[in-house]
Amino acid sequence: MAHEDHDVIYDLLAARGVSRRDFLKYCGSIAALLGLSESFVPQIAAAVAAGAKLKPAVWLNGGACTGCTESIAQVDSPDVATIVLDLLSLDYIETLSMAQGEDALAAAEAVFEEPGYILIYEGSVMQGFDGNTLRIGGSTGIEELEHAAQNAAAIVAVGSCAVDGGFVRANPNPADATGVKPYLEKVGITTPVVNLPTCPVNPEWVVAIVVDVLLLGSLESGAILDKLDDWGRPKFIFGQTIHDNCPRRGHFENGHFVNEFGTEEEALGYCLYKVGCKGPQTYTNCPIVRWNRRASWCVESGAPCIGCGSLNWVDVGAPFLNRHRDLPLPSVGNTQPGVVAGVVAGATALGLGLHALGMKASGRMDGGAPYEDMKNYDRKRMKKGGGN
Amino acid sequence: MSHPAHYREAHPLIFVFTHWINLIAIVALAFSGFYIHYPFFGGFMGVARGMHFFFMYVLLINLAVRIVATFFVKSATRLGTREVDTDIKNWLPQKLNRHQFIPWLKYYLFLKKDHPIGAKYGVLQKISYLFTIPLTLAAAYTGFSIYAPFMDASFFAAGTDWVGGPMNMRIIHYYIMWAFILFTAIHAYLANVEGIAPSRLIFAWKEEEGVQFDAEGKIVGGAGHY
Repeated sequence: MAHEDHDVIYDLLAARGVSRRDFLKYCGSIAALLGLSESFVPQIAAAVAAGAKLKPAVWLNGGACTGCTESIAQVDSPDVATIVLDLLSLDYIETLSMAQGEDALAAAEAVFEEPGYILIYEGSVMQGFDGNTLRIGGSTGIEELEHAAQNAAAIVAVGSCAVDGGFVRANPNPADATGVKPYLEKVGITTPVVNLPTCPVNPEWVVAIVVDVLLLGSLESGAILDKLDDWGRPKFIFGQTIHDNCPRRGHFENGHFVNEFGTEEEALGYCLYKVGCKGPQTYTNCPIVRWNRRASWCVESGAPCIGCGSLNWVDVGAPFLNRHRDLPLPSVGNTQPGVVAGVVAGATALGLGLHALGMKASGRMDGGAPYEDMKNYDRKRMKKGGGN
Repeated sequence: MSHPAHYREAHPLIFVFTHWINLIAIVALAFSGFYIHYPFFGGFMGVARGMHFFFMYVLLINLAVRIVATFFVKSATRLGTREVDTDIKNWLPQKLNRHQFIPWLKYYLFLKKDHPIGAKYGVLQKISYLFTIPLTLAAAYTGFSIYAPFMDASFFAAGTDWVGGPMNMRIIHYYIMWAFILFTAIHAYLANVEGIAPSRLIFAWKEEEGVQFDAEGKIVGGAGHY
């Protein structure tokens, strides 16, 4: 790569108040996230610096709250991740684009015509009402996704909505929301999808994947697919539970729990398991990578994990402050599993109690009733003349 | 009063032990499982998890021993007899069990006055005892599926995906515990409601005289020749 490219990026970073040292440290954290050694840092830095010339990227917004864009853009304080993403020739991004209307759509169209771009998709795929639950520039959201997905080299589905519909597909799901990968599988489009759940997505992961896919060539080599689990999630990000890496895990094992908020236990930083923490069944590396430029993350800041990195996370995680999810029982409504168990156990106890009264009344408690001298079946057969 | 005789041949000593081990393991598992589900007092989580992981292996090994033993140990062929045969034959439906499902159901529901003839066990009894085997295996499968050292193995992860994630798997595991609790309650009730001789035999291996039966289920002796 040409030396001038370095100068360009470092000038750009300096203009945003990011030193060369900050930038290299950041590349180091990406290397760590990707499971690469420190020796890859210069390569990543060089790749990022040259990134803009490699592949264009398009960012589409489906049915969602735009929180993932917020998470990454952090408009009030641009950080290294933002700048790196700026450099990635994001030719079209609905929320942040300066261009509007026809101009913006034309920019997107220009990208779609040249195969090989990266499609970053945020938000759910809303299929309801023939896709008319979402309309962009005169066409439906699902038409736009299919059109954009056809020629893409890879799709990065950012945030739980893009992965499986996220909170948009929570019961009763009137928009018939689903994720990018399930939708494309349904319509037979085979473009590889990298899924990055959580609500919102962590910018570090997006940058790591973009660097890996776009710049380090793992897409061309096919290596990216080996790094994904069955749900298309990178294993190095979504391979372990929050619980297993949690800084409060020691308190869990010791049996030190927060029983309610606003107590001394909470001030002591005890485990949030009893107030509904979903860390034990949520597979993300939040405790390691953390959020907001590695400042903190949910559990560290005192909130139980609500499991936003799980599939179908609202339905399997709500109520967020309970240990168990609710069961949507027909004609009863949302019920905690323990309540159902208690009712069944109570009915059984009542049944046994009543039965015991019956046993007492019929005098069977002392040895039971006298035995029959032959089976009913045999007696009937004998009556019919069948003999025994 | 027509209580059948309770002889040691009904429960050979090895089954007295396996029954004790089952009882202790299930109580320990249910208690520690409840605690892990919701720690109702402080300072015990590490111990509760250790208990749970220890006794789950105890229960599984005990089940394996019990199943192997059924092919080698001889036990009484029916109530009130010292006549023995290989235990498995007394587990599977026996001649005396035939056509007796409805009569047993009627007897339990007070729709039949006299006691139905049973073999080693009654029909409902055999079904419910045999049901504890898949129930134990289901508890093991769902438990391993949410147990960190095993849950990523594809054999378990595939099941977790199929039921809709680890939370659902956790709830199924929780309900299996309730199934054990209900089974144990009903089992203890039915075994002892007509007298505690069955408990004295299975726990303390103490015999009690009573009605004796022949191979056709006819009363041939014992207390008062009922």
